[in-house]
Amino acid sequence: MSGRGRTRLAPTVLALVLATTLAACGGGGDDSPPAATESSSSGSGSDGDAVAVTVTRDGDSFTPNGERVELGIGQTLDLTITSDEAGELHVHSTPEQEIAYDEGTSEHEITIDRPGVVEVESHDPDVILLQLEVR
Amino acid sequence: MSVARLDVGGAIEAHGLGGAKDLPIPSELAIAGAVAALVISFTVLAVAWREPRYDPATSGRRAPAWLDRLVSSPALAILARVLGFAFFLYVAAAAVFGKDSLINPFLGTFYVLLWVGIVPASLLFGEFFKAISPARTIAMLFARISGVPEGEGLYAYPARLGYWPAAVGLFSFVWLELVYPSSTDVGPVRLWCAAYLGIMLIGSAVWGTTFLERADPFEVYSSLVAKLSVWGRRDGVLVLRSPLANLDTLAPAPGLVAVVGVLFGSTAFDSFRESTPWLKLVQSLSSDRVLPDTLALVVFSVGVALVLTLATMATGVTSDTPRRALPALFAHSVVPIIVGYIVAHYLTYFVEYGQQTLIQLSDPFSRGDDYLGTADLQVNYWLSSHPTFLAVTKVLAVALGHVVGVVAAHDRAIKLLPRRHQLTGQLPLLVAMVGFTIGGLYLLFAA
Repeated sequence: MSGRGRTRLAPTVLALVLATTLAACGGGGDDSPPAATESSSSGSGSDGDAVAVTVTRDGDSFTPNGERVELGIGQTLDLTITSDEAGELHVHSTPEQEIAYDEGTSEHEITIDRPGVVEVESHDPDVILLQLEVR
Repeated sequence: MSVARLDVGGAIEAHGLGGAKDLPIPSELAIAGAVAALVISFTVLAVAWREPRYDPATSGRRAPAWLDRLVSSPALAILARVLGFAFFLYVAAAAVFGKDSLINPFLGTFYVLLWVGIVPASLLFGEFFKAISPARTIAMLFARISGVPEGEGLYAYPARLGYWPAAVGLFSFVWLELVYPSSTDVGPVRLWCAAYLGIMLIGSAVWGTTFLERADPFEVYSSLVAKLSVWGRRDGVLVLRSPLANLDTLAPAPGLVAVVGVLFGSTAFDSFRESTPWLKLVQSLSSDRVLPDTLALVVFSVGVALVLTLATMATGVTSDTPRRALPALFAHSVVPIIVGYIVAHYLTYFVEYGQQTLIQLSDPFSRGDDYLGTADLQVNYWLSSHPTFLAVTKVLAVALGHVVGVVAAHDRAIKLLPRRHQLTGQLPLLVAMVGFTIGGLYLLFAA
């Protein structure tokens, strides 16, 4: 009984796992060509319009607050920072990038050359302004 | 979040893998994984064996004599202790004399090589941390010098305590890693390590090395994961077991459910705290995020333990197995789910920040040294550059962990439950396990 159970169970489960994941890979495959092609040419900078985001600082309060932003690999993020005091933003990509801004309105550009989620954070006070979904 | 990070351009956030984190897994994959979990669960229930197959007293194949001699040899044990202790001293020197910066390899060694590396090391080599544990090495040296018989303390370790001290220790670790704002400053982490070492040494002097088996968070974690390796012992003889048969040899003890709850709950919380809704919520509060994060970490850990407790107790029982004993008797079946989810959650972190740490280890004092010849190596980012491969690997790991967990629970159920409750009695736990797996997949998808 137990011997039969063993022989029946293993192939059944294996077949199911394979079937579902293969189906998923197929599904994921339809979705992934842009990511795949872009990663192969990563660093060269892909085409497409830049994404623009405005950051506002008023004392210790920031907008946006933890917003997700979709960004392509190598695509430019145009950051407009309006602030009532000078400060610094940290872009937690690998390697990390820093953006120093002055009082008033200033323009900055970021590009990320590898897929992942990259946080744009202000320090002192610690606030995560953006989570860039780079793909 | 730390002051130290401000000083080091190009440095790496300890919990966040070089700043950049994995992309969420695609929805198709998350759904496929969830469907697989459901289908697998009920397939196992429907077609699996009806007589228990795993018995610690008989399972496993005797290892060849030469392998047993090698593995059991004092020379190998001493070599592991010497290497482990030398590495400990090397990293401790970096912790004490190195700079408070993120390129200090102490942080990467602690959070990545130790905390994450303990899982693959224990899967491959069995009770890995026990073999190299510096706390155990010092305790053994003390015992030798003072003439105390090896392993003995002043008192017998109270069985009632079980794994509870380890659960507390594990919680303090994950709180330090995931909640404490200065988790990437060398000072507080060094203090945590010193307290850990002090408690381990005092505990082992009082209660012997049993204390380390039950209270050392790293040793407990490692030995738990080692139950999914092929290495086991039966009557002192080295045997090779299938991971499922080996997992079945995990002895229930008080606090085991709490350990499982902290391990799974904290990993789930690590995904959750990065999710947009939680981030927006804690950042819109006037206070800092320590309190809400602590509460959420407690809720996740206690939640997992509570779900496991309720789900295992919701069955008919025989007179010789009290209902209260069931949660600990079934806790082993959550271990593979934890390991699967840890692989999914930490794979890139381990591979990429692990390489970064190996590079940093050449320069323990941040002076530009190259002690190990690794300083000029470059991190290979192949894994994070292939997000589809990564996502598929993650979902496969979660699904595989789920299969092993469900089969382990099934075998335990037909061993323990009265015949007429053997199938229906499994249902609540099965639902809980599907919930854990789908919840984990959801967090991988949404965070």
